[in-house]
Amino acid sequence: MDLFVQQTVNALALGGTYALLALGLAVVFSIMGLINFAHGELMTISGYTLMYCGILGVPFAVSVPLAILAAVLAAVAMERIAFRPVRGGSGATMLITSFAVAMILQVLFQNLISARSQAVALPQILSQSVHLGNVIIGVNKIAAIAATVLMLIFLDRFMNRQKTGIAMRAAAEDFAVARLMGIRANTVIAGAFAISGLLAGVAAVLWVSQRASVDPLMGFTPVLKAFIAAILGGLGSLRGAVAGGFMLGFIEVYLAAFLPQEFQEFREPIGLGLVVLILLFRPNGMIPSRFLGLIKV
Amino acid sequence: MLTSSRTQLLASGGMIIMLSVIAVFVATWFGPATERMLTVFFISLTAVVGIGVYSGNSGILSFGHVAFMGVGAYASSLLTVPAALKGATLPGLPTWLADVELTLIPATLIAMVFTAVVALAVGAAISKLEGSAATIATLGLLIIVHGVIIGWRDVTRGAQSFFGVPRVTDLVTAAAFCVVALLLARLYRDSVSGLRLRAGRENAIAAGAVGVRIRWERLISFVLAAAIMALAGAMMAHFLGAFSPKKFYFNDTFLLLAMLIVGGMSTVTGAITGAVVITLVTEILRRLESGFSIGVFDVPPIFGTAQIGIGLIILLAMFRKVDGLAGLKEWEERVLPGSTLIAQVAPPSVGAQDVLSGEGLTMQFGGLTAVDDVSIQILPGQIVGLIGPNGSGKTTLLNMLSGILTPTQGQILLGGRDLTGLSSPKIADQGIARTFQNIRLFTNLTVYQNVLVAALSTHRGKDAVARAQTALDWLDVMKHVAADAGTLSYGDQRRVEIARALACQPQVLFLDEPAAGMNREETDALMEILRRLSADLGISVLLVDHDLELINQLSDQIMVLNEGRMIAQGTPQEIRRNKAVIEAYLGTGRENTN
Repeated sequence: MDLFVQQTVNALALGGTYALLALGLAVVFSIMGLINFAHGELMTISGYTLMYCGILGVPFAVSVPLAILAAVLAAVAMERIAFRPVRGGSGATMLITSFAVAMILQVLFQNLISARSQAVALPQILSQSVHLGNVIIGVNKIAAIAATVLMLIFLDRFMNRQKTGIAMRAAAEDFAVARLMGIRANTVIAGAFAISGLLAGVAAVLWVSQRASVDPLMGFTPVLKAFIAAILGGLGSLRGAVAGGFMLGFIEVYLAAFLPQEFQEFREPIGLGLVVLILLFRPNGMIPSRFLGLIKV
Repeated sequence: MLTSSRTQLLASGGMIIMLSVIAVFVATWFGPATERMLTVFFISLTAVVGIGVYSGNSGILSFGHVAFMGVGAYASSLLTVPAALKGATLPGLPTWLADVELTLIPATLIAMVFTAVVALAVGAAISKLEGSAATIATLGLLIIVHGVIIGWRDVTRGAQSFFGVPRVTDLVTAAAFCVVALLLARLYRDSVSGLRLRAGRENAIAAGAVGVRIRWERLISFVLAAAIMALAGAMMAHFLGAFSPKKFYFNDTFLLLAMLIVGGMSTVTGAITGAVVITLVTEILRRLESGFSIGVFDVPPIFGTAQIGIGLIILLAMFRKVDGLAGLKEWEERVLPGSTLIAQVAPPSVGAQDVLSGEGLTMQFGGLTAVDDVSIQILPGQIVGLIGPNGSGKTTLLNMLSGILTPTQGQILLGGRDLTGLSSPKIADQGIARTFQNIRLFTNLTVYQNVLVAALSTHRGKDAVARAQTALDWLDVMKHVAADAGTLSYGDQRRVEIARALACQPQVLFLDEPAAGMNREETDALMEILRRLSADLGISVLLVDHDLELINQLSDQIMVLNEGRMIAQGTPQEIRRNKAVIEAYLGTGRENTN
């Protein structure tokens, strides 16, 4: 039972990070149909900002917002430089563009910073843990869960109460009509990228706080998982992205904890196999976007 | 059966063989280093064209096919590694596999069949997904297969290097296999299945409405592509002699996709162009990577120059040439004339014998009832006009009758056969064809291909060419056959769409605002054609339009919808005098009392 509680906390922490990343992908996808391969590089940029802040002796409380800000700025810059020229292109065109951006950034990190993994200075408290009965929970896990919850509440408020947020939802529903209603395309898309950068930045801080190191490919694996989470939840649906992120987190953590030893090697294929199984029954994901595939004939 | 002219295919095949032979001779003259480079190039090209068979024709980018390359590599190697060596390196191997020792060609063939079977299972699942979701699913496939290869140590040595594979892929073998793959891909593109799949890529809904079962065609190309990837994988394995699972993962996927996309994914010409360009650029940049000096300047070695170069080329291609360097057409399609039309053969004209009836049709979208308990009957050879204000449910009714929407309630019968709930390709095959309110042509296919694919996909493709030609003749668009459908004028596009529907040899034809955007003369000409369709061919027509003059002159019966309900039905004279109709169109009005 204790083990179960323990693993559930782990699953929530990991799933929360996936959820934030998947949400960042979904915000952009729902508005411009781009699956952003370079989302992981936003994480990496955030991670390196944390690392440099640590080297310069900036207090952690300051370096976290700086790291998140770096991801936001990078996301907006990425949109302006690389994605605006292909706006309105096919899904494949935009996907490939983002993949080229990711590739270039990775090589730049390797050359300008280091190809090897770099240590990141973290405050002591993050590596401590709390005892609740027989359950030991790392402070970093608690921080991750808390940060995820805060971000989700913030985003929910933003999307439902703020003018820009409502405009973004309108644009996701029907971009052409939204523009006719006087919503500026550039503002909405830049806003979407800023939000996705914010989410990637927070996810990066959480990811780094579990591992205390950064490398040029840091963002690759988690974002790959976030892609899968976004599909699992329902591509283009924000609630779906969150649900898919948590679902994937639970599948991974529980399989790691409870799968018999002889199958552990196949953990990843089995996990993804489960995802495929869910998709076979729900091809549009767990919570499909209402607007995706709604075509006027 | 092939759908394009023999001249083009022969030219393409001849060019492929000639270029390969020349390349082999040139490389042999340059020496072993160049030979090795060219061998790798041929293997890469085989893989690129393999991905192109699926991604190019279906329009769905696949990250997963490199996994099949891996499957092919491992499967073929397990068959060719000497039994004695297998005993030492893979002690856990089942005996029936441990004792096998084949040569390259049989091993490759078996590996291709095995991979195709795996791909069939995977493809059946993936073909359910659409667009970007399918792309990400293929990404998942790559990860899953990689995971299985690493985990299945008894057979694959896990993450460790799989070695001892006989190095029997020489330049000539690679060139020969590559030519086979290129020819296969080229022929598939213009096969019936390839043409259907490309129609589906251009417009999925319209393809369904002319009888194309897109998922099935996608599955065929998915499996064929996987088999070609297995061929590339087997060659690669027997070229390298030793490899690990990493060889068939993201790095190579990205490199191969870069070749495919820069060249242009929908053609074999594009695949070749892309492979040549990226290979050359990579080779040049690799030389620069180790550092060089220009005069007095020493350029320091920069790690990953080749990768940045490829990245920039992709960006440039996406910004400037979205369809790739080669565009959407094969070179021979640009240079040589297309299909020459055969002599007129009169197709069997069936006409309508059956009554189409919809009974109590209701369509609800969430809380909105778009069509509410509407019954409709179209007698053989009749022209029925369907009118009503915007949003009254006309198109929704058409969508239900043509299988694009499944009615929430009600029944659709054609001559007593129940069509309710059938998919749109099946309905098309039953003899109901349609056009769309917003023109849905296959814009990058020629007019001839647009119409031919419809004829090929209905009535088992019987007399397809004759049917296509007759339909083109009827609508007087024969002069445009070689043009891309998307380049025609609006009125001509409407006519081609009707020709495409007619090529399905329908009993009943649905026309959704066929005269929209036409001037008076064009409308009159169209009217004449429709009248003859019904009189000469005996086809029933259900006509939706806002041009009341057109409707009044053509229709035997008029039905009027308002807010989802049928408010009137009768001959044109009756409808003109009907109070409810006048109210719906002009409002109740107010008595002028001052």
